[in-house]
Amino acid sequence: MITMARNGTVIRTEGLSKSFGSVQAVRDLNLEVSSGSRFGFLGPNGAGKTTTVRVLSGLLKQTSGNATVCGFDVNTQRDAIKAATGLLPESPGLYSKLSAVEFLEFIGALHGRNGEALNRRIDSLLSILGLEGRQNDLLESYSSGMKQKVLVASTLLHEPRLVFLDEPTSRLDPAASALVKDLILVLAEETETSFFICTHQTSFAEDVCDVIGILNAGQLVAHDSPAGIIENLNVSDLEEAYLKIVGGHVDKAALLAWR
Amino acid sequence: MLSSGIRSHRKAYVGFITALAFIWALIGAPILIGGIIEMILPLDSLKPLLQLIFPGLMRTVVLFIWMLLLLFPLSFALQEIKIGQWEIFLSSNVRTREIMAGTFLGKIPLFGLIVVFLAPLLIAPLALAFEVNILGQTLIYGVIIVMALGTIWLSNFIASAVQARLGDSSRGNDMAKALAMVIGIIVIIPMYGLMFFLPAMSEIMGMNAFLVLPSTWFADTMSWLAVTFNGVGISDLVVYDAMLQLDLLTSSLLMGGFVLATVGAALVAADRIFTIDAGARTEVITTIGKENVFFCGLRRICPGSFGSLMVTNFKDFFRKAQNLSKVFYGIVLATILPVIMTSINVEYGQLSEIFFMIIMMLSLVGSFPFAGVGFLESKNQLWIIQGAPSGGRRFVRSRIAAQVLICIPLALVPPIVMSFFIRMTLWELLMVLGFGCMAVLGAMFIATGVTALNPNYEDTKSPAHQANMMASVLLSEFSIMGGLLCWLIFTLVFNIDLMGVMVGLFGPGNFMYGITFIGLVIEWMIGGLLVWAGMRSLSRPDS
Repeated sequence: MITMARNGTVIRTEGLSKSFGSVQAVRDLNLEVSSGSRFGFLGPNGAGKTTTVRVLSGLLKQTSGNATVCGFDVNTQRDAIKAATGLLPESPGLYSKLSAVEFLEFIGALHGRNGEALNRRIDSLLSILGLEGRQNDLLESYSSGMKQKVLVASTLLHEPRLVFLDEPTSRLDPAASALVKDLILVLAEETETSFFICTHQTSFAEDVCDVIGILNAGQLVAHDSPAGIIENLNVSDLEEAYLKIVGGHVDKAALLAWR
Repeated sequence: MLSSGIRSHRKAYVGFITALAFIWALIGAPILIGGIIEMILPLDSLKPLLQLIFPGLMRTVVLFIWMLLLLFPLSFALQEIKIGQWEIFLSSNVRTREIMAGTFLGKIPLFGLIVVFLAPLLIAPLALAFEVNILGQTLIYGVIIVMALGTIWLSNFIASAVQARLGDSSRGNDMAKALAMVIGIIVIIPMYGLMFFLPAMSEIMGMNAFLVLPSTWFADTMSWLAVTFNGVGISDLVVYDAMLQLDLLTSSLLMGGFVLATVGAALVAADRIFTIDAGARTEVITTIGKENVFFCGLRRICPGSFGSLMVTNFKDFFRKAQNLSKVFYGIVLATILPVIMTSINVEYGQLSEIFFMIIMMLSLVGSFPFAGVGFLESKNQLWIIQGAPSGGRRFVRSRIAAQVLICIPLALVPPIVMSFFIRMTLWELLMVLGFGCMAVLGAMFIATGVTALNPNYEDTKSPAHQANMMASVLLSEFSIMGGLLCWLIFTLVFNIDLMGVMVGLFGPGNFMYGITFIGLVIEWMIGGLLVWAGMRSLSRPDS
């Protein structure tokens, strides 16, 4: 907390690397994310985004390098990092036989919270996310979008200073995506919560994030504001910039080559 | 993965396995079974007895095998609903009959191998008793193949129908796993019957009772083939006419008709079977009501966040049909075996004689419901739990606290039911209850520790699940036997009279209680160690 306040940095990585056997998922990542910012982490499938998030949230050990999150060391202060951060995983890992309220109570209790204060918080979060009518139904009957909303609520439940969101809108319809987008913007503005958002959706990143990092094959290949990246590459939007950096422009003739 | 390499050499493998099957059937199994029989009594003196009891014995054994072939593939299939694959099939130009035939063919290698190995063990005594010639043996194996294929086909048909009704959903999967477990009991009970009631079974049921069962038609056809192609000079078939009641032609016709009818019925009904319903997810929405008195009481006793975790763990455990099914299975298993043993054999009339076994059964009740599944649903769930400070540790602690409360009825029900059958004194009942509670709790610690060390999530077909189940059950059973092992080691290796020490400690005649107590202490120590290691493992970041 003291470190973060002093230097205004919520995440700092130095030569962070992670490999799984012969596969190098993250290579020599040097990154700084300012406190209160909305950092968008873009990259193709398998680029190493989720691995980075797991290392930074204390769930995975890095192979080499170092990192501090909210001023805490990822090697020695994992519990402090977990208390200060919230993580929305890529795939929902909900309890199918609990209702939304019961699941959120479980998550709150894991963070040492309970009682009326927790119940009020659960009710208001579910209400904001439009789940108040279904809050007592078992999660097994929820659609994937509704499950994602419950997970968003669980991530914000203990008022984290830094929120890791791994593909937050991949299962949401446009209205729900817009809701999550606004929620992130309001939280960042009003409560100075920092966001670290992994996404494939360049338009979402362009709308929400003030800083973008693009990861390709485990390496950070771009790090700037969305406007800065667009300007540097002389393109019209972030999607075009992304395709220019990562590759992925396909020749129309090639698309029919398999016929 | 391992078997995928076989594909490129499949012709050679098929030839090799076929040759192996022939050698096993014609040479290996007869030598093995003949040797075992010779060890008991000279085969020649046993032959007349074998010739007399075999047709009856055959009906019971084939009934058991038939149920095994019918229910095990069914139980296995229910552990994994494959509606998603059906969607791919049905969206392609594939006929439903072809799907049925394909899923059937897919099951043949595994269950076929089991049959290839087991069938000669069944046939060898028959062939030896009647000295059946090669033609007769070939025909008998033909009947076994028809029975195996027909039964697997029927099982495949029933499994598809049940899967389609349950649908591919969390609720449907849970119900399917619960059903798969209950099916196990249907197999276990006849197995007990085979072990203990075999001599009396024919008398109790009467031979006529068997005639309505399809398995009897297969068994009788095999018996008739053995008698017809005998090499011991039986020419007067009147005895077997009276014993089997239906002749060879009738039995064969019934057998063939049954197989053809199941094949025909399945093909005709294929279109109806392979329809994908809306599924349990959209059909049933369960809304939770107000918390009951038990949960409110638990929250009062344990008001902090730990109490909330316990309540949530309780709800999660008891709302899953598969957990209830496992609890039911364990209790039935623990109650039925001592009751059967005391009801059929006067030697087991004394409690001290079966006390050790009762505690071992209760240990099984403690390990079974908590091993393997029902702990964590997915790796993502584990990430969420680990995302909280000391999340893994707090989760395991609260889970164990909830499970301790679940163990109380598990430890109470079997001894109380048994006390009525065995006529225990109050003191004896209290002894069984006390030791039983320790056994159930110790086994629960072991199962939880093992599962926390190697979470297999909801995948009941994974090697991790099999390993967890085996390790939990074996560790809890063998740790209780640790007392006996200590006695043996101390007596044989160190020449220390542990029995004397026990008698001195627990009083004369209480040796078995003392040995059981030592076993329970060992079980708790192993359980404690595993829980500690499991908590550490779940709290540690992945590397």
